[in-house]
Amino acid sequence: MTVIAVTLPLTLAYAGLTALALAMKRHHEAALGAKPPAARLRGFRIAGWVLIALMVASCLRLWPTGLALSMALGLVTLAGLPLVFLLPYRPRLMVRLAPVLPVLAVIATVVLS
Amino acid sequence: MKAGLRQSMAWLHTWSGLLLGWLLLAMFVTGTSAYFREEISLWMAPELHHSQPSPDTPALAWAALNAKAPDAKSWDLQLPEARSPVAQLRWQPDTPQAEDGGRRRGERAVMDAGTGELLEPRASRGGDFLYRFHFELYGVPRIWARWLVCVATMFMLVAIISGVITHKKIFKDFFTFRPGKGQRSWLDSHNATAVLALPFHFMITYSGLLIFMVMLMPWGMNAAYQDGWRGFFQDVFPRDEATTEPGAPAAMTDIAPLLARTEATFDQPVRRISVDWPNRDNAVIHISTDKAPAITDKRRGGNPTLVFNGVTGELLETQPGDEAVPGAFRVYNLFVNLHLARFADPTVRWLFFLFGVGGTAMVATGMLLWVSKRTQQLRGKAPGAALRLVNGLNIASLTGLLAALAAYFAANRLLPVELAARESWEIRVFFLTWLLALGHALLRPDRRGWIEQLAANTALWAALPLLNVATTDSHLFSAAGWRHGALAGFDLVCLILAGVWGYALWRVVQRRTIRGQGPLPQRSRPQQSMAQGPRSKRGARTAEDSA
Repeated sequence: MTVIAVTLPLTLAYAGLTALALAMKRHHEAALGAKPPAARLRGFRIAGWVLIALMVASCLRLWPTGLALSMALGLVTLAGLPLVFLLPYRPRLMVRLAPVLPVLAVIATVVLS
Repeated sequence: MKAGLRQSMAWLHTWSGLLLGWLLLAMFVTGTSAYFREEISLWMAPELHHSQPSPDTPALAWAALNAKAPDAKSWDLQLPEARSPVAQLRWQPDTPQAEDGGRRRGERAVMDAGTGELLEPRASRGGDFLYRFHFELYGVPRIWARWLVCVATMFMLVAIISGVITHKKIFKDFFTFRPGKGQRSWLDSHNATAVLALPFHFMITYSGLLIFMVMLMPWGMNAAYQDGWRGFFQDVFPRDEATTEPGAPAAMTDIAPLLARTEATFDQPVRRISVDWPNRDNAVIHISTDKAPAITDKRRGGNPTLVFNGVTGELLETQPGDEAVPGAFRVYNLFVNLHLARFADPTVRWLFFLFGVGGTAMVATGMLLWVSKRTQQLRGKAPGAALRLVNGLNIASLTGLLAALAAYFAANRLLPVELAARESWEIRVFFLTWLLALGHALLRPDRRGWIEQLAANTALWAALPLLNVATTDSHLFSAAGWRHGALAGFDLVCLILAGVWGYALWRVVQRRTIRGQGPLPQRSRPQQSMAQGPRSKRGARTAEDSA
């Protein structure tokens, strides 16, 4: 198992959690600066859970089931910590990283493995 | 009624967390380091750094054992692997005295895996000291220490559950961190590190208790077996005793084909070879490989092993057999394997290390929150003796322990190799540094104490890689240091930690209003940004009031 392989579920977890944070009114306003309509919040919530589901799926590809589910929980933790600290200091960076990081991870996984 | 429950849980959380927090902090720090126990042990034995495994290693080790102990009772040979580049040789002499103490330790040697030369590493407990400290402390009778650690763990479980009940807005505040607001920031960071890593915290605490379940809850076993846990273990883990009588001298079969066959059977590299009655006509050779990385064991038994007749090379047995592991046992295995990260490859090991750091941060922020809240309530008055004591103990248990850890590593490089009882001196340096830090912290249980100990930590941790350059030839700027990732990794982690302490130092020096005793400006904050709207303020207050 290389470090590279873990970047995909990790960045997917980050993107998923960012979407879930943006689905919360308070964080949405702080990060995107606008009062969100309810439909948009719901959109973010759905997107967030879909990303988390994708993340679990990518873990299941990497590890046997039991380990994969444990690691999925762990990677959500690991992705959440930078998110929590980016949110107050650099909210825009937090949002911008969310789509970029998984793409970079996919490229890295494809190129380096 | 509901408020009543939350209040009482908050009380429980605050006081169980504070009283056992210092011990838990030490357990978290040493336990986290224990994920890299073997790497730390390797770092602390520079004499082994130049060993490089080769395809000839098993043959060399076989020859070394034949030369060292041809007529031993048993041999045990551990081949090098990613985490340890040397071959470990152990043997049990065929003398009645060897069995006397009941602990059958036998003799041991370390072999350079490339040259076959026997190495003599400096005497050091290495990572084992930290690993043992994690659950047995040091210098306390083992059984007492284990009970104490288990009580602390039980209270940690209590703190986790009461913390979840106390935390009113667990989902609403899931991502909330409000920096620069003293007590509230500590509360937020305590919540963030606790809630986000809750699965890990729960797993590590509960599994920690499960590991000691035989000690903690012996009644079932005592009721079912006349000889208590001994009988239980004999039933659950039946041990086949080796033939107790040596056979007639005989030449053993060539080991190479047996190794190849084992590797082919299990599709894993061979890790361990053990022999009962080597060079006798009743010799039995056990060859084991790594386990496949899985966190549940579906089959009973240890690592995949082939058992051969030592003279003819005939296959006697394949282990583990087909006996399935019962459900409860699998749950136990799952938790214990997770706690010890037994299945972990390097990446997963690093993840567990980071979770351990997160757990340490969770305990530390909780204890800082306790002091911060009470400092804030003083509104500028001088703190009383109790608050100063707690703050002093916080300093000693956080920065003091980490300074002691750095001193332990430094002592490994600085103490003369020929010093008598050298390994004990390394440990003495650890405790003397810790004691010194405790004395210092109790004399200065305030901002100055933090600043000085953070400065000491920055210097000590930054000094370790430099010390390594001065005293070894396997440092960051050498090929040998990078050949085993563990060595360069160790030095890099030291540098990162030095950076973290340096940053923390800078922050404490900058923010005199928050950690100091001056009046706290955020009490009369005129305006709040959107992110700290009225709702979040109310949320924080409920938790504050009850903390």
